Amino acid sequence: MEKHFHEIRDAVHVFVHLDTEERRVVDSVAFQRLRHIHQLALTHLVYPGATHRRFEHSLGVMELAGRVFDVITAERNRDSRVRQVFPPSPDALNYWRRVVRMAALCHDLGHLPFSHAAEGTLLPQGMKHHDLSAKIIQSDDMQRIWESVTPPLRRQEVAKLAVGPKDLKGEAFGPWESLLSETIVGDSFGVDRMDYLLRDSLHAGVIYGKIDQYRLIDTLRVLPENNTKEAEPALGVELGGLPSAEGLLLARYFMYTQVYFHPVRRIYDIHLRDFLTAWLGRNRFPTELDDFLRLTDEEVLVEMRKAARDPSHPGHDPADRILNRKHFRLLYERNPDDSAKNPEAGRAVYAAACQEFGDQYVRHDRYAEKEDPADFPVRMRDDRIVSSRAQSHVLKDLPPVNVDYVFVAPEIRTEAEQWLARNRQDIIVQKEKEEDEP
Amino acid sequence: MKRLQRAAVLLSLIEALRRRDSWCAETNVQKAVYFLQELLEVPLDLEFVLYKYGPYSFDLREELTSLRADSILTFEIRDPTYGPSYAPGQLRDLIVGDFPKTISRFRKEIDFVAERLGNKGIAELERLSTALYVRLRSPDTGVHKRAQSVRELKPHISSPLAEQAVKEVDAMFEEWQAICKE
Repeated sequence: MEKHFHEIRDAVHVFVHLDTEERRVVDSVAFQRLRHIHQLALTHLVYPGATHRRFEHSLGVMELAGRVFDVITAERNRDSRVRQVFPPSPDALNYWRRVVRMAALCHDLGHLPFSHAAEGTLLPQGMKHHDLSAKIIQSDDMQRIWESVTPPLRRQEVAKLAVGPKDLKGEAFGPWESLLSETIVGDSFGVDRMDYLLRDSLHAGVIYGKIDQYRLIDTLRVLPENNTKEAEPALGVELGGLPSAEGLLLARYFMYTQVYFHPVRRIYDIHLRDFLTAWLGRNRFPTELDDFLRLTDEEVLVEMRKAARDPSHPGHDPADRILNRKHFRLLYERNPDDSAKNPEAGRAVYAAACQEFGDQYVRHDRYAEKEDPADFPVRMRDDRIVSSRAQSHVLKDLPPVNVDYVFVAPEIRTEAEQWLARNRQDIIVQKEKEEDEP
Repeated sequence: MKRLQRAAVLLSLIEALRRRDSWCAETNVQKAVYFLQELLEVPLDLEFVLYKYGPYSFDLREELTSLRADSILTFEIRDPTYGPSYAPGQLRDLIVGDFPKTISRFRKEIDFVAERLGNKGIAELERLSTALYVRLRSPDTGVHKRAQSVRELKPHISSPLAEQAVKEVDAMFEEWQAICKE
């Protein structure tokens, strides 16, 4: 007898369950390519175990997305104040469950080689990997799969849920689509985040990413954002789930500071970006789907090895630095004293160091957190809705991640350190002049 | 506009809103910035889409979070049943001191928006910002038709309230034109 339900062993979730229609997506060219895209770019050069790929992450996201959907749509879990947001019929609900799982499966299809490392520089102005994910999901190849599903899935809806309102430009999202997309790629409780924290910490061997996803998922609810009658529905938690939500956001904070923004990891990303830019040219990454799908980490690594051996290759210097561990070293990092004098202190150090040593020896890495995951509704035991930040001191005081690094080439490191020690106080307070006409 | 220049404008707007008793939650700031950029043409370079409670900018949300990361803004809990309010952070004086020309250049626009929107609640801000959204897309359409468009986008808004919002936005527009001519 033909088998319609399948399971794949998984390091995080033990088993990922899927049916034959979902397996058709897994077997597609676009999805199989994710076997060759590292989840964390060159992080394995710092945390040797972090060699996992987008492939297993995407399977894990689908597994969690199905669980979250079942919890938030269960009749017993529906809050009467936002009941109108749920589809009225069981058939409609089944349809959306399938869209959610497919969208979760496909949410990373548009990743460039080595994931985020070089996206900002290589893609045409304004384009992100999300745009490519949406393009692949809506391609003719994938459309054949969507049409074969019972009932057929609308590709635009799969794309909307996979990418979300923040990144899918020009699409209007209704409240239901916004909510479902929030369950996949949302800042607070998106299953993308749950899976990558669990999986990255497991493979990196860093315990911080461990979270109680079972309790958290069981207590997720669709709630009104506040107690007013105009409140829109939003993804929130029961009071009993607040500690596990705090755990998730603390895990995220520590993973950001300890793994994702580890200075050596960040400089490897910069060298990788320098290599890709030198090899392919700025804004020149192929975005035609056939060409795009042919490029994976493996093609990049082959070229990188060639470049490291060949001094005449345009990407020789960054390739040599990556493969032979000659990466730039940390010269300066953000600290509260300097930031109180100049919030862009790193930029001031970078500009002065470039002037002193030449910009080929200096790199700057600045990131002030942009997502705000800690604000969501909490349903109290008496049914009142309370803001998470008001209820939880942990969330209220959780600082946004803020990174400001300046790196220098190892060959000038000692000289640069002595130079900075001598001039630090003068450099830190150097600010850009205010323009008359913004 | 450079990042810290934009920070100076946003900080001044938040202070102006607070002086007019605005709750200054994210939604209040979102709608005030929408008017500042789209009606008064302050070049903040933020993209708005139709989302929560009308026009919404994910760019602005990211910007506000990054300003919090830099202690230029901070959160204040004023009532647990509502979200946190934005308030000036520890680096407020530094930013105001570094960008006096930028702040004074847009002072009139900031005060205009704060004066008209500072005391309004979320429901009213949703109506007004959606009415402005519709006006910007079909400037030559009559009040009734634009009110219908508001209702198509936000069906929970009643016809009389949609029409009232459209008229109020028209009045603000004319008022601003008159100020500019002075």
